[in-house]
This record gives sequence, structure tokens and C-alpha cells, in this order.
Amino acid sequence: MSETITISPTSRQEGHAELSMEVDDKGIVTTGRYFSITPVRGIEKMLIGKRPETAPVIVQRICGVCPVTHTLASVEAIDDSLKISIPKDARILREMCLNAHIINSHAIHHFLVAPDFVPDADYKQVVKNISEIRKHAQFVEDVVGGEGIHPSDIRIGGMAHNISKNTINKIKTRISGLQKLLEQHVEQMTVYIQEKDFPENLGQHNQPVFASDDTYGSRDNISYKEIEEIAPSSWYDLPEIGKRACSQIPLYRGEAVETGPRARAEKYRHFKEKGVKAQHLARAEEMLNSAEKILELVNQLNPSGKTMAKFDLEGTNRLGIGIIEGPRGTNIHTAKISEEGYISDYNAIVPTTWNIPTMGIATEGFHHDFAPHVIRAYDPCLSCATHMVVKNDDTKEIIEDKYVQL
Amino acid sequence: MIQDSILGPHQEIITARASDKKILTKSQDGGIVSTILAYALEQNIIDGTIVAVEGDEPWKPEPMIATTKKDILKGAGTKYTMCPNPSLIKEATREYGLEKIGTVGTPCQVMGIRKMQTYPLGVRNVVDKIALVMGIYCMENFPYESIKTFIEDKIGTKPSKVTKMNITKGKLFITTSEGEGTIPLKETHGYEQSGCNYCMDYVAELSDLSCGSVGAKPGWSTIIKRTDKGSSLIDKAIEDGVLETMETNEGKFGLEMLRKLSTNKKTKHQKQIDKKLDMGLKIPFAHSKDKNDPYENR
Repeated sequence: MSETITISPTSRQEGHAELSMEVDDKGIVTTGRYFSITPVRGIEKMLIGKRPETAPVIVQRICGVCPVTHTLASVEAIDDSLKISIPKDARILREMCLNAHIINSHAIHHFLVAPDFVPDADYKQVVKNISEIRKHAQFVEDVVGGEGIHPSDIRIGGMAHNISKNTINKIKTRISGLQKLLEQHVEQMTVYIQEKDFPENLGQHNQPVFASDDTYGSRDNISYKEIEEIAPSSWYDLPEIGKRACSQIPLYRGEAVETGPRARAEKYRHFKEKGVKAQHLARAEEMLNSAEKILELVNQLNPSGKTMAKFDLEGTNRLGIGIIEGPRGTNIHTAKISEEGYISDYNAIVPTTWNIPTMGIATEGFHHDFAPHVIRAYDPCLSCATHMVVKNDDTKEIIEDKYVQL
Repeated sequence: MIQDSILGPHQEIITARASDKKILTKSQDGGIVSTILAYALEQNIIDGTIVAVEGDEPWKPEPMIATTKKDILKGAGTKYTMCPNPSLIKEATREYGLEKIGTVGTPCQVMGIRKMQTYPLGVRNVVDKIALVMGIYCMENFPYESIKTFIEDKIGTKPSKVTKMNITKGKLFITTSEGEGTIPLKETHGYEQSGCNYCMDYVAELSDLSCGSVGAKPGWSTIIKRTDKGSSLIDKAIEDGVLETMETNEGKFGLEMLRKLSTNKKTKHQKQIDKKLDMGLKIPFAHSKDKNDPYENR
């Protein structure tokens, strides 16, 4: 006899979501449905009719966990639309900022999952390390991006400023020091994750991985035309859930995909493992990858190099695409700037939106007790993923499919 | 700590000057600010500071972030016009990557820095990086246009020819390569920035340490040691021989003068504040009738 189990809201993640599972008489999940119940803010709609430079400032406020990623995706989309090519040093700074943010964000996730993995005796020490790691990563975000939380200096056309030689040296010293701490932290987390008594293959699924680049993001490795977004009502098998879900379902080549550190690792770093443990391991290892990348980039940076391209703010009516590999996966923003110089179209398909349909699938085949672990392995961040407009707040009915714009 | 509403809370007042003769040739009086900043930099108490250096026009200073002794000395000497040094504090912590900033400012700038530390809106990860706040005595400050008027119209020379400006003994002395002109301070009234007329702070009461020429012989400065941080820094600088001291004159041309000038500023400006408040205007100062102590800086 099958039974429906609902976890609402799912915990230790950003935003609010619900997990509804059909389970058989042994408690094994036969159908998993994960969906966002975070209310819509309408950020994309808010941008229509605004000047392009408003976009990065507003979209970075989608979420306080991932502002760097949204800002970068936004400026990349607008740079693309306006056909601006940014100076080399600006690109280096953008990539440094993103990598620092990846370390910072992954560290926050380790804090969220620490109760699942870290033994009580080590808990304090691990959390202390996490705080220390974040401090160094945020220093880089601060000096490069202008602000740790809402980076003010990532601009259309490049970066507002370069950094001084003195700052470059400080970043080198700090990140070299951080590497030692990270190695210790990652080693420690790896042992905890591997020792965890999860059922074998927990969280494995057959959906394809989705990633555009090793660290920064690239327009060339994803075919934008093959992305479609469908309304939740046509994805979820229960009409009730289809109505309440607050996010669209993006599909790549017709399939739900997994994006994030493990997807990047599989595509670009020869990482073979799958499932919950593999996701955690790939995430931990990516911190080391990012730290190394920062050092590599800072060594290439010319402190007296130009960081701002010369451009005229003339609209092109061309669809600009910005693709950024954020901590949780591939973040895609698209923008059109009208000939009058105002935003005429804006859309964001963010990492967790990609993962939402896959997360439900990944819970299937295991006891429902393990489902929260499967969800947490994706580090979901719901407030970014939320896109639907609710028509009736009492019934949570969303607007008709025909109004759902791609 | 001595609670004193005229000179602000302080631990001790001393008279000192720089031991380095090179600094003394460039500095306004005792070279305290330049010496202490350079010393704090050497001692790793600060890793940089913001100084006022000459900008595009002569005697029109612009703030600059200094991370070397050489750059600090570029800022030596008083410029009697506004220079928004605190505006660079955030930049100093960002592209310059400073983590221990030494700041110097007039009393109003010191108040601004302290306010920023109390209400850190928009300055996340900035205020915790302010390592030192030094204040300089200030009766009033002049917009650049006023300074130009003094030099061009009252003295009849060009700003580029001026080598030093100094206010002492009730007069503004403007020294040029050709000679010296003076303007009685009475004639400068009306040229100051209007906000100065409501200021209740003469000696940067909220700083870690403040200094200025008043109360000391020419070429020397009085230093008001306030916080433990400011106090220990001065003590260490004396111990290491970068500052030399002399006995403080407590008399009429010494500390009495300092107290008198501070009292005068406060008395005069409290009247202005009362007048505006009585007119119903909203200004961020308290009416004298709401104060227990008429000299209180609030």
C-alpha cells in the first residue's frame, strides 16, 4: 500500500520548499516531488523599463547567499547584449571574485550539513574552521568586488576599479595561508562524509549533468536554444502540487539535469562518482580548486591595467546571455536592451531551478528517512529559483501557462 | 580618564615635537601628525592612512591613500580648506586592501568617523578596520573659494606663490616666496563654511589623541592623550625617541589659552544653535536649556 509523506518545509537550506513522496509499504520512495514554496518577488519583471545599470544592482538582491553569481551573470548578459568586450584585467578580477565566493558559499553549506556528518566532539573545531575560511574568502570578495554581500564594483563593461599591488600581495599571503587550512578542512570533511552510514548509491539518478565551464562559465559550451522552461503543472503528476509550486521547470535537451559542483567535476575534472556522498566530496574539493584558481589569477593580474571598457550605452535589441558557474551550478541570465537604452526583456534561470526536478527524482529508490540528505546534497537555494506569479493567494493558483514567458 | 567638557575626556596633556628635523621643516608646528602616522606605520599599528595632498590647483588639497612614509610626508602641513579625507576610508579597505587604517581629521571629521563606527550602514567590513583616529584642533574651516579670495584679493598674490599658511595670534599669515601678508582673523569671518558656526568641538574630543599648536611655543604642539590606544601610542613614540617633549605651559599662553579658545568657540556657537532652535529649525544639536553642562559637545 502506498502512502504519501510530506516534509514541509525542508530544512537547513535557503528558502522554503516542500518534499512530497509516495512510499511503498517498506517506506521506499517510489515518486519524489520537490518544489519551491518560496513566494515570488518578481525581480525579473521589476527590471523591465529600467536602465541596464540597474539590473546588476537589483538582481544581486535576489539572494544574500549568492549575490556575486547573480551580479556577474547579469553584467555578462548585458555586456553580451551591448557587445562590450571587457578588458583582460577586469575579467581576471571577476573570476577571482567568483572563486572567492565559491569558497565562501561552500563553507556556509558545510556549516549547514555539519550536524549530519561532523561528530559532536569535533563540531566546535569544524565550525571554527568554517568561520575562518569564510573570513579569508570574504576579504577577497570585499577588496575585489567592493562589498562581500552585494558587490558594488562589478559593473557593466568591466570592474569599477583595479586593486593595488599591496592588495595583490595580501591576497597571495591570505590565500596561501587559506590553502593550508582548506586542505586540513577538506581532508577532515572527506573522512566524515565517507564514514557516514548512508545506503550504497544514495541519491544516484540517471539524469544528465549540466555545466558550462570548470570555474567561471562560458556561453560556448551550452546551447541556449536547447533550453526550455515548462510550467510546473505540466511537470508534476499531481495537479495540486503543479498549482502550488513557485518555480518553472527548466529542461536541457528535453531532460531534467543535475548542475553544481559534482556536475562540473564530472564534466571538467574527470570525477566519476555519483550520488549524495559524491556531491559532498566534489563540493569540498572544489574549494581547493577555487583557492588554487585565485592564486593563479592574481599572479596574472596587472595592478595598473585598465578594468573598464569604453562603451556607449546604446541598445541593440539583441538577446544577451550571461552564463556563470555559481557555487550551486549554472546560473543563466538573459537580457535585451531596447534601442532607447532600456531593459526590454530579462530572465534568469538559476542553479537551483535546474536541480528542483532532479532532486525529487534522486530521492526515489531509497527509504524516505534519507530523503532530506538527498535534498541537502544539492545545497538548494530557493529564493533564487522562485519565478511563478501566484494568481490567487488563498488557493495558491498560479497564472495561466500561456503567460509564462520563456 | 579626566572628564572635561571643555577639552573633552582625556588622560594627559603634553607638549612635544618631532625629533626628525626633516619632518619639522615640512610640518605646520611640531610635526606630530606626520611623525605619529609614520611611526604607527613602522610599528605595524596601522598599515596605511589617508592624507591631504596638493591636488590640481595649488592649496586645494585632495585626499590620498598613503601606505609609505614618503607618501605620509607629502601630506605634512596644514591646508586651511576642506579636504574630505574620510570619504576614502571605504576605498582604502577595498582596492587598497588596508586592514588597519590610521585616520586624521578635523573635529567634525572625527565625529563623522565615530558616527560611522556607531551606525555602520553601508560600511560593512570597513569600520572594524579603523585602527587609529587622530584629531586636529580646529576653530573653523574655509571653502577653497574663500582661501583664493584671501590670497588673491586680500593679499594680492597667486596661490601658486604661497609657501605656507598659518593662523596664530589672531591673524592669518600667508607666506610667499616674496614676503609675508597678514589678515586679521576678524576679516575672515563670513568666509568660513556655515556649518562651522554650529560646531561645539574645538579639540576633536572623540579622537584617540588630538594635537595642535595652541598652548605650545612656536615649533611645538600640545597633544591631548585621550583613549588608551592613543595614549600608549604617544608614550611609545616618546620612549623610542621619535617625539621629544618639553614641560607643558599651564599658564596664560599655555593650557589656559587652549581652554579659553575652546570655551569661546563653544559659548559663541551655543548661542547660534539656540537661536536656530528657537526659530524652530531642526539642527542636530541640543539647546543650552536642555544641557546640564553648557560646554557639552552635543
